[in-house]
Amino acid sequence: MKSIRFFLSIVILSTITLMAFLSALNGYRDSMTKAEQLFDSELMDKAHLLSIVFSALHIKNKSLNTDVSLIDLESESGKIDNGLTDETRGEDFNDHFFAFQIWQNDQLLLRSLHAPETAISQFKQGFQDINFFNHRWRAYSYYNQRSNLWIITTERKDIRYVLAENIVLETILPVVIMLPFLGILIWSIITYGLSPLRTLAKELGSKRADDLTPLAIDKQPVELIQVVNSTNDLLKRLKASFFREKRFASDAAHELRTPISAIKVHLHNLSHLIPLPELPSAKNSFLQLQSSVDRMGHLVEQILNLNRTSAEQYVTRFTELDIYNIAQDVIVKEYAHFEEKQLKIALEGEHCHINGEQFALEILLQNLLTNACKYTPEGGSVLVNISSDDNNVYLNVEDSGPGVPEDQYERLFDRFYRLNGDCHTSGTIGCGLGLAIVQQIVELHHAKISLGQSSFLNGLLVRVIFPKEGAK
Amino acid sequence: MNAAMINKTSFFILRVTIIIFICQSIVYAATPVIDIEIRNHLFIPSEIVIPENTKVKLVIHNHDETDEEFESYELNREKVIIGQRKGIIFIGPLPAGEYPFFGEFFPKTAQGKVIVK
Amino acid sequence: MLLSSVIIVLREVLEAALLFSVLIALSKQMGLNSRWIIWSLLLGVLGAFTYGMNINNVSEWFDGVGQEVSNALMQLTIYFMLVVFMLMLYHFSCKQKVSKFPLSLIMIMIILLAITREGAEIILYFFSVTHSQNYYMAVLVGMTIGASIGISIGILFYYLLSNLKPERSIFIGLVLLLLVSAGMISQASLLLIQADWLPSQLPLWDTSELLSEKSVTGQLLYALLGYEATPTAIQAGLYLLGLIFPISIIMGLKFTYTRKKILSDRPTKQ
Repeated sequence: MKSIRFFLSIVILSTITLMAFLSALNGYRDSMTKAEQLFDSELMDKAHLLSIVFSALHIKNKSLNTDVSLIDLESESGKIDNGLTDETRGEDFNDHFFAFQIWQNDQLLLRSLHAPETAISQFKQGFQDINFFNHRWRAYSYYNQRSNLWIITTERKDIRYVLAENIVLETILPVVIMLPFLGILIWSIITYGLSPLRTLAKELGSKRADDLTPLAIDKQPVELIQVVNSTNDLLKRLKASFFREKRFASDAAHELRTPISAIKVHLHNLSHLIPLPELPSAKNSFLQLQSSVDRMGHLVEQILNLNRTSAEQYVTRFTELDIYNIAQDVIVKEYAHFEEKQLKIALEGEHCHINGEQFALEILLQNLLTNACKYTPEGGSVLVNISSDDNNVYLNVEDSGPGVPEDQYERLFDRFYRLNGDCHTSGTIGCGLGLAIVQQIVELHHAKISLGQSSFLNGLLVRVIFPKEGAK
Repeated sequence: MNAAMINKTSFFILRVTIIIFICQSIVYAATPVIDIEIRNHLFIPSEIVIPENTKVKLVIHNHDETDEEFESYELNREKVIIGQRKGIIFIGPLPAGEYPFFGEFFPKTAQGKVIVK
Repeated sequence: MLLSSVIIVLREVLEAALLFSVLIALSKQMGLNSRWIIWSLLLGVLGAFTYGMNINNVSEWFDGVGQEVSNALMQLTIYFMLVVFMLMLYHFSCKQKVSKFPLSLIMIMIILLAITREGAEIILYFFSVTHSQNYYMAVLVGMTIGASIGISIGILFYYLLSNLKPERSIFIGLVLLLLVSAGMISQASLLLIQADWLPSQLPLWDTSELLSEKSVTGQLLYALLGYEATPTAIQAGLYLLGLIFPISIIMGLKFTYTRKKILSDRPTKQ
């Protein structure tokens, strides 16, 4: 998986590392060259200084007629301890940093304690690198024409190098040390920079399937405006097409109502005009026709209910209602159907108030009761129970019917889904919209619905949980 | 026909190999040996002189505790000389000139050159 | 010490990092599981330590030229592995099926050998130079800088290669591997000349004035194509041979593929 954040962080960090380190190296090289030059010029200065001092001494000695070349190199006066740096002056022979020789006509006049007795370098003006006494030295040879003296000053290269490097290193070290911090910084900055993208993704991801409201565009960065615009455009078109679909269904249902009523009336009239008992085959057809028309009427009615109770259509404000009273009313209304099948129906519980819409709740209860009535065999019983606790109001509808297998619970809420498909055993009219409507109303009231098995009637238990504070 | 050709070719290859081996052994026998020491990260001697167009065998004795890498861009040579061991490097034949070499591990002190005359 | 430690580490890391980034990019293009990367790194580091710790024994082999011979052997092995890899890559680019396990195995071998060879030198260097405390800091900083530069170049190179179109990146990868592998041959032949296993000759030409091997560009080209300022005839010849060998096999493969295609096309036409 490609990650923009990872890619950007790594590539930016690599580029910065490359550039920073290359320039640091360049700086290091330049500084070291400068340090080298500094040391060299110091070496030169030492040679010049020695030359001046020694020449003066030499001339003075000459005027006093003392032979300078006779200076006893082994005596204390002949030894000149360089002592340039206190740190490097140790007991150890190896730790000496500076040495010199003064020559005249191939004769060594003077040398520092730790200089060899042979010429350190060739008698040639300028700098040379040479090895002696187990070290590599930088040597400077200087010829003083007036006094005919060769002055050779040398410094240890390795010590010079370490001294210079330690100084230069101080400037490079921060570049190296800051690198991990730079990495963290780059990572955080990129994470922050990409946050609008993450927010947008989150917003889109958490959008409910039926939420087609456009995304806010004012807070988006320029790079995302096109994406948001396109998404909003898509949502708009989707919404329009959903709306058209819904409108079509409800319009069609509405338009079908009148002709269906007319057909019913005409069928009723027809049943009186034709002597049906004498025509058994015609009677059969007639009954079939009647049931089909009833079914059609039911379907149209349910589609209208579905449409009326959909969230988009619902604008009515909720009022405080007593669900117990509504249940009572609906049971009274539906009682005829129950009696027809010799079903016992009981309402238990207490008066509970919820915030809701009268018509919608009536449809909800009506659908639940019709279902219970339909799927409970003759002589069974249906129980409606209303209870409450501190937070919720519970509406339970149970029946003594055959119940529903658990794996079918989810599907029951699908539109036009009926248990066992078309081979419905109950033989009653239905269109598979009942529970879809119920669910829609439940959602409208911010309630929850669950299916289960009735504990004492052994049929289906439908439980609707209304929140007590109600929907706003 | 084909077999004869293969025979001929293989014979040719064999001959060439033998010639190469003979040449090599002749060259080997005549190869001068030059010893170089490494002490305290210094090449001793730091300058060696070898004849023009001659192959030379350098035997480098490392007397230091630490390893050193004999390296020369001009000579195209690169070899790690383990501490307190010796290493063998063949150089040349070379045209006249100066060929600096250095110890890559301690390049500030371990420096030297091959002078071809 | 800083600069020299940068150069030593950079030279070794750069070579391995370039090879590594090309192989990773190609394996991504071929849709390979990336588990081989971890394996090859792990085994490589292990190999580098083993080789570095035993280099004094290795050096004694073959009358004191064991180092050169074993290094050359590793280079040659990498070369042949690379040739096989290139052939499989070409196979893949012709929409042929390529079994992925041997491919991963070959890549592990290549990286393992490359890291072993390059890593051993870094390990030897580190232990030699930090023997005296004087240089500790400088060497540590230098090695960090060298390794970081090498790895950064590798990473950038990888992203450059993997963001190309698959066909183009496979083609460029193929060319790069070709050059790198020929460079391996050149290095191996140089080592064998140094060991006197191959006859030494006067250099064929000298381009050190034009492009010194010491320069940064020279180092980069050395890592990438085995650039040599003063090659001998044998070295140059082997380099060319190393270049031509895989090309000719690929050409041969191409020829058979097209012939197969023509043969398989013919019956449908008739």
